[in-house]
Amino acid sequence: MATKPNVAELVSQMPEVDKPGTASKFTGPDPAAAAKIFAEIFAGGSESILQLIDLVKAPDDADFKDYKAAYVVHGLVLSAGVAGREKERRQLAGLLASRLSGEKSSAATKTYFIQELQACGGRDVVPALARALSDESLAEPATRALLSIRDGVGPELQRAFVTAKGRQRVGIVLALGQLAEPPALPVLRESLRDEDAAVRLAAAWSLAKMGDAASAEAILKLANGATGHERSQATHTCLLLAETLVAAGKTTEARQLLMRLRDSRQEESERFMRDAADRSLKALQPHGAA
Amino acid sequence: MKPRFSPLSRRHFLASTAASLATISLVPRHVLGGAGQTPPSETVGAALIGCGGRGPGTFSELKGLNPVQLARCDVKYLDRADNKTIYTDFRRVLERKDIDVVAIATPPHWHALISIAAMEAGKDVLCEKPMTRFIAEGRAVVDASRRYGRIFQIGTFGRFGASKDRNSILTRKIMKSGLLNPNPGVYIKAGGLKVKEWSGLVNAKPEPVPKNLDWDLYCGPSPLRPFHPHRFGGTHRGYWDYEGGGLCDMGQHAMDPVSWTYGKDDTAPVEIEAHAPPAHPEVCGMWGWVELKYADGFTIVLASGEWGDHYDRKTGRGVKLEDLDEAGRAKIQATPDPEPMIDFAEAVRTRKQPGGHAEAAHRTVCIIHLANLAIRTGRKLRFDPVKEQFIGDEEANRLVNQPMRAPWHI
Repeated sequence: MATKPNVAELVSQMPEVDKPGTASKFTGPDPAAAAKIFAEIFAGGSESILQLIDLVKAPDDADFKDYKAAYVVHGLVLSAGVAGREKERRQLAGLLASRLSGEKSSAATKTYFIQELQACGGRDVVPALARALSDESLAEPATRALLSIRDGVGPELQRAFVTAKGRQRVGIVLALGQLAEPPALPVLRESLRDEDAAVRLAAAWSLAKMGDAASAEAILKLANGATGHERSQATHTCLLLAETLVAAGKTTEARQLLMRLRDSRQEESERFMRDAADRSLKALQPHGAA
Repeated sequence: MKPRFSPLSRRHFLASTAASLATISLVPRHVLGGAGQTPPSETVGAALIGCGGRGPGTFSELKGLNPVQLARCDVKYLDRADNKTIYTDFRRVLERKDIDVVAIATPPHWHALISIAAMEAGKDVLCEKPMTRFIAEGRAVVDASRRYGRIFQIGTFGRFGASKDRNSILTRKIMKSGLLNPNPGVYIKAGGLKVKEWSGLVNAKPEPVPKNLDWDLYCGPSPLRPFHPHRFGGTHRGYWDYEGGGLCDMGQHAMDPVSWTYGKDDTAPVEIEAHAPPAHPEVCGMWGWVELKYADGFTIVLASGEWGDHYDRKTGRGVKLEDLDEAGRAKIQATPDPEPMIDFAEAVRTRKQPGGHAEAAHRTVCIIHLANLAIRTGRKLRFDPVKEQFIGDEEANRLVNQPMRAPWHI
């Protein structure tokens, strides 16, 4: 049976910073030597990888020592990202995900693990990240990680939306729009009537991104009723919706929306919006008959 | 289309005649329209967003427009913001109808979002380099510029000089002719990329946020990290959250004339390979060289000269008329010179795109982003310049379009 590597000793081989004992710049290890260390840790299996993960401390943890363990974890993530190393990637992601629950690591350190999962995680770690959505200190980075993973995350985000608060609700609504999965349409349409203006605006953008013709009236109404920065943002969602409708072949709906937008922007200060709608209309009708 | 000189510049003048001396400090003498001064009808209302470091220099690039600086905005102005002339939140600046032009000199993680929001609010934009923090942001800026018919100019001007240089013009004609395939050209940028100087710190323990700084707004679309002074005020360059090291900061300068001269303003490299130690997840660090090859074979090499083995795979080589056969040479000699570039001020007046327009700036900074992504992933990458996606590399693609912290999005 092969001897398990001494993970702490391998980690300590990472080069010292320019000015040891201080916040400092570093030159990085020799790539070949680093690759050998990463391979030794992988060869030690789950036990060695978990030893490494448990050495990681965030800089704001009281027992933070240096950058080395987190850097080696990232090195493993990079090496597992190479084509053909799917087994190692899944193993590593699963072990990182296992440390998102429990008291072994601080919230700051868990945030670091989520950051690594954003790079290497797949569908198999979605449940662990979804659980993090209910933890106020982890919800925001977990949303971003899920959005990077994409596969199978829509239902989890919708579930989390029910209990999410404040900015996190905005983040979930925006993520649902970027995922663009039809099952999210009802919750996004409902969010157009949310009491939080930021959620309403985010929902308009997401529905525009998804090309939801059924929401055109509500989005235009939102834009026409908005002022200041919100007005330009909401007007943008109308133009975006028209573009996605055109892309989906729904030119009649796009034309109607653009004409109503154009006709509602009569102030000189909004001439550029009128011009933008007009340009889009002309693009729909090559002979400029809009 | 007539230049959109702000009628509210005049209104500002009327208001400012009764205003305090403090206001006059923001309103140059020419606004008052005295003898020998530009009258207010020929000025534009302007704002500077991001007032540290390059801020004043970037604003000075508006000079051809006779700008009246009506607003200054910076997240470090919590202790002095009055939401009249001094702001912390750019959204309040963009709401002002008397501002036609914005100069953006924030750290780069804000460049795309503020540029897009400004164009959505009807402003023309002069944005400090690097244009963006990641690839998808650049495409979104290009789209916004086209959608709203706004002028965008990147704050680096190397291509303007190249466009007046006879050798560069000849090179561009040869490159754009498509007659060289495979293309033997190799451009090597050796040194001058400030790799160590603008790398970040590791082992940095969090410190209290200064009272005058809106740290949450500073972080904006990037992760909300604990504050450390090295992440702010120029040294932000050393962190992936805000920029991309010296390569990103100096790279757009270095590549701006190259991208024009070699006719690569509408495409991107297809193969990228780097020589570097494993990257740190948050801190921009050291690297040796990056080789970026275009579909026609033309190659750009970025060599830091600060780490690792010397680059010796290829030798720098321009493209020449002698590379073509007689018919090819005749074709190049019959090709008219490119149209002269116009600068930002002329672009604002004429509504024609300036030399450093959004697409050109995006394609130029893409060279740098691709180089950094090869450094960050540690492997050879293949890129599709049309889809702007990596081929067969999921991890790299996750860095092409990085999810932002809500409520920010592109």
